[in-house]
Amino acid sequence: MDLVAGRVYAQERRPIRHIDPVLLLVTGILVVIGFFLLYSATNQTLKQDGLDPFLRVDKQVFTVTIGVVLLLLMATFDYRFLRVYSGFIYAAIIAALILVRVPFLGSSAAGAQRWFEIAGFQVTPSEFAKLGLIVMVAASLSELKHAVPTARDVLRLCVVAAVPLVLVFTQPDIGTSIVMVTITAAMFLVAGVSGRQLGALVVICLVLIAAAFQLGVIKSYQLDRLQVFLDRQNTSADVRYNLDQAEIAVGSGGLFGQGYLHGRQTTLDYVPEQHTDFIFTVAGEEFGFVGSLFVLALYAILLWRAIRIAFLSKDGFGTYLATGVASMFAIQMFVNIGMVIGIMPITGIPLPFLSYGGSSMLSSCVGVGILLNVHMRRFK
Amino acid sequence: MDRAGARLKILGSVVAFMFIALSTRLWFLQVLSGPEHAQEARDNSIRTVATDPLRGDILDADGRQLVRNRISLEVRVNRDELGDDAEATLTHLSEILGVPAQDLGEALQTKNYYSYQPVPVAEFVREPVYFKIREEPEKFPGVQVVEQSVRTYPHGQAASHVLGWVGQISAKELGERRFADYGPSDLVGKLGIEAEYEKWLRGTAGEERFLVNSDGEVLREFDPKPAKPGDDVVLALDLDVQRIAEEELAAGIARARTAIDDSTGRYFAANAGSVVVLDPRTGGVVAMASWPTYRPGWFVRGLSERQQAILFDPRTAPMLNRATQITYGPGSTFKPFVALAAVKEGIASLGGYYDCPAEYVHPGDESGTVFHNWSESGAGTLSIAAGLKISCDTQYYRFGSDFYFKDARTNDEELQRRMKGWGFGRPTGVDLPNEAGGVVPDRTYVSDNPDRYPDGWIPGIDILLSIGAGEMKATPLQVAQAYGALATGKLCHPHLASRIVDQDGNVVKRVRGACHNVPYPQADLSYVREALRSVTTGGTASAVFAGCPLEVAGKTGTAERPPYQDTSWFAGFVPASNPRYVVVASVEQGGFGAETAAPIVRNIMSRIYRTPCQGPALGRAED
Repeated sequence: MDLVAGRVYAQERRPIRHIDPVLLLVTGILVVIGFFLLYSATNQTLKQDGLDPFLRVDKQVFTVTIGVVLLLLMATFDYRFLRVYSGFIYAAIIAALILVRVPFLGSSAAGAQRWFEIAGFQVTPSEFAKLGLIVMVAASLSELKHAVPTARDVLRLCVVAAVPLVLVFTQPDIGTSIVMVTITAAMFLVAGVSGRQLGALVVICLVLIAAAFQLGVIKSYQLDRLQVFLDRQNTSADVRYNLDQAEIAVGSGGLFGQGYLHGRQTTLDYVPEQHTDFIFTVAGEEFGFVGSLFVLALYAILLWRAIRIAFLSKDGFGTYLATGVASMFAIQMFVNIGMVIGIMPITGIPLPFLSYGGSSMLSSCVGVGILLNVHMRRFK
Repeated sequence: MDRAGARLKILGSVVAFMFIALSTRLWFLQVLSGPEHAQEARDNSIRTVATDPLRGDILDADGRQLVRNRISLEVRVNRDELGDDAEATLTHLSEILGVPAQDLGEALQTKNYYSYQPVPVAEFVREPVYFKIREEPEKFPGVQVVEQSVRTYPHGQAASHVLGWVGQISAKELGERRFADYGPSDLVGKLGIEAEYEKWLRGTAGEERFLVNSDGEVLREFDPKPAKPGDDVVLALDLDVQRIAEEELAAGIARARTAIDDSTGRYFAANAGSVVVLDPRTGGVVAMASWPTYRPGWFVRGLSERQQAILFDPRTAPMLNRATQITYGPGSTFKPFVALAAVKEGIASLGGYYDCPAEYVHPGDESGTVFHNWSESGAGTLSIAAGLKISCDTQYYRFGSDFYFKDARTNDEELQRRMKGWGFGRPTGVDLPNEAGGVVPDRTYVSDNPDRYPDGWIPGIDILLSIGAGEMKATPLQVAQAYGALATGKLCHPHLASRIVDQDGNVVKRVRGACHNVPYPQADLSYVREALRSVTTGGTASAVFAGCPLEVAGKTGTAERPPYQDTSWFAGFVPASNPRYVVVASVEQGGFGAETAAPIVRNIMSRIYRTPCQGPALGRAED
């Protein structure tokens, strides 16, 4: 009986039976919505250029296919292996971030992130650096000897986080830097780092950012973007253009939107970077307030599931991993949509699952894979 | 994991706060200010371009085009499409246009056009230029050649003072209410019929609306609101008569300049003059000529410096219409109206005879003022008809004195009132801008102008008025209007246009001069007409009209205008028994009426009726 019961018990605890269907469903819905928004944002300009209007959507579908493979791959092995290999992962990330700065190996465009050009695809290491950071910090936190991290622990962890952070920040990729800082802070918070220490870290970050401004690491266009956010009335129309057009697009959606493929701003290409960082404007314009709230609700469910997974995990590493991934999705969603609707400064942060872009989609899929993995193996 | 659980709740709260912040902002953006943003989105993407309407034509009574439109090629540059090689493009353009590239660059700096509107850089380009641009479009990105319609004058300077011209609207005009819907580059009628009938000729601008993307590329054109062409103005003017009038006026002036002025011993200056031909039955202006004249076509391309110097020379002022804008003393052409007034007011009678001495002194005047007859001798006692025939001044001085005495009793200004009744002293209301009204000196005028009348209201005012002298001033058109009334018994206000016709041929408006009967008995009018007929058969103009089979009635006039030479007048109508045409000529510094003006009128009448009127080129030196 015991044996049978034990077998039943073991049977019940087989990881495959504990896939989080809600998480997968919400992710799936977001990805499909992403295809529709992407088509609306790109078909007109592609047609005008004499190209297949489905060109970008097709490419995104291909990326998602790879993403699904990575997601499943990520869920198959026990996430605890990640702790074992965290050092290698971390080293690989650092190496990639350094190599991408080497001329001829890495590419960059004015004001854009740095990437590798691999078989026609752009691979952006900073997107994966976020995941590497999560794994490394989670592993380090889970190995702390003390129940409450000491100042020494915090300092050591800060150095661990700072290396990829500085490499990303000086690319310069301020958006991803913000995400990485937030991820680290959220994981520290959950790991029990005291409020005072967190406060001190915030102050140090602010000082460093101020220093970065002084030393000219920050480019003038980034300063412009900040100024638009802080003092919109006194900024030239050129600088304001992106934000103005995005707000007009979202605002003109009204309650129910102008209808799919009928958004004036969208079809006439008035919002720059609409298929990447400003993809939310399509939802706002064509599906209105109701549609926007629906998308927000999907993210809310996603984050609820992610935080729940962190909560359910039986070990600290799983909790920290889930926390890191949850905070990554949360801050990206908040800063991206916030920037589109004018309550956050413009920084190049993609919207998870919706923005066009291979690396972002892949890292998001891997993130969901990690969440799934932790959820599936919450019984040890 | 309890501690972690508590910490995760904090994280959850932060995330919840994020959603609240985003939702609130979306509510404000989409629901509360959604309609404004929707409007902004529409404004973003719809570009509106006004299209100029085709201006209406101006036609003569027979439908001949006096002013119409022709196509001119204009080169325009779209700054948005110039691309990176703006300089190279402008250099190519400068080569084929023969205009310095720098000038083209400056023309493009204009703020009168939106960046998506092409800026005109060269007008009236020749066709080869157009072909060059079309053959090598890659050399000329953003350059287009468009057809523009401009005014053209098929008959040169014919009727230039009547037609006027169009030009770019001035800053001052833009501020006026009637030009409220004009833009700074719009054309507007500046003078003549072009100005007077602006609102009909102009038409209604159309509107083209385009859907444009963020690059300014036109994706779709909405149903355009086509421009509605302006209406045509059909004049009462007869181009043939107009040409005759212009030629004879110029010829008469040329002749006068070869004649010696007896009183000064110099040639007549004959610096300006005008002719009016009226149809007295309707008030329609059949011809109106003014000299010196100008070419309205000059304004189409913009004036050269030389043209400006000619047009705006204050000594010649060729754009002034001498028939309506300048007033002259009417001289003896005024006498028929004074005679009729005197009879009507009981000062004289048709059966009476009145002295025509060489000199006249106002009864009871002690100042020693003597009024002279135009000739040094008297002519005895004459009927009114005989007095008109030889244009006796002194006879009329007495009528003036009598009006003065009557006026002193009744305080009624009979003479002035009667003269105003013929249309003198106020504009005729002809459909031309800036018409002068002239002066009939009355008590109000005298008290308003004390510098000209230091002695105030004195008998000399009425005495001089009785021969159309002193401060009495009239335009040739006013004289023509009064002669028309005399000829028919009906005063018709003159008008140039007869009707306005839309593009479908429907008459939009008929222009008629208001007519009313003049308050004189038929018998009196007939008597004076007979007298005027005798002027050309046996009176002051008999030499001019000798051998002319036409039945012409008329009156010579000579108005003194010190320090200048006399103004020469002739006003007449033909045929006297059933008047069809009133013809009035006046020439500044042209001497006696019979010398310069009367031959002009004779030749015009002769050519209108294709009836040779032999006679000396210059009449005898008679008033």
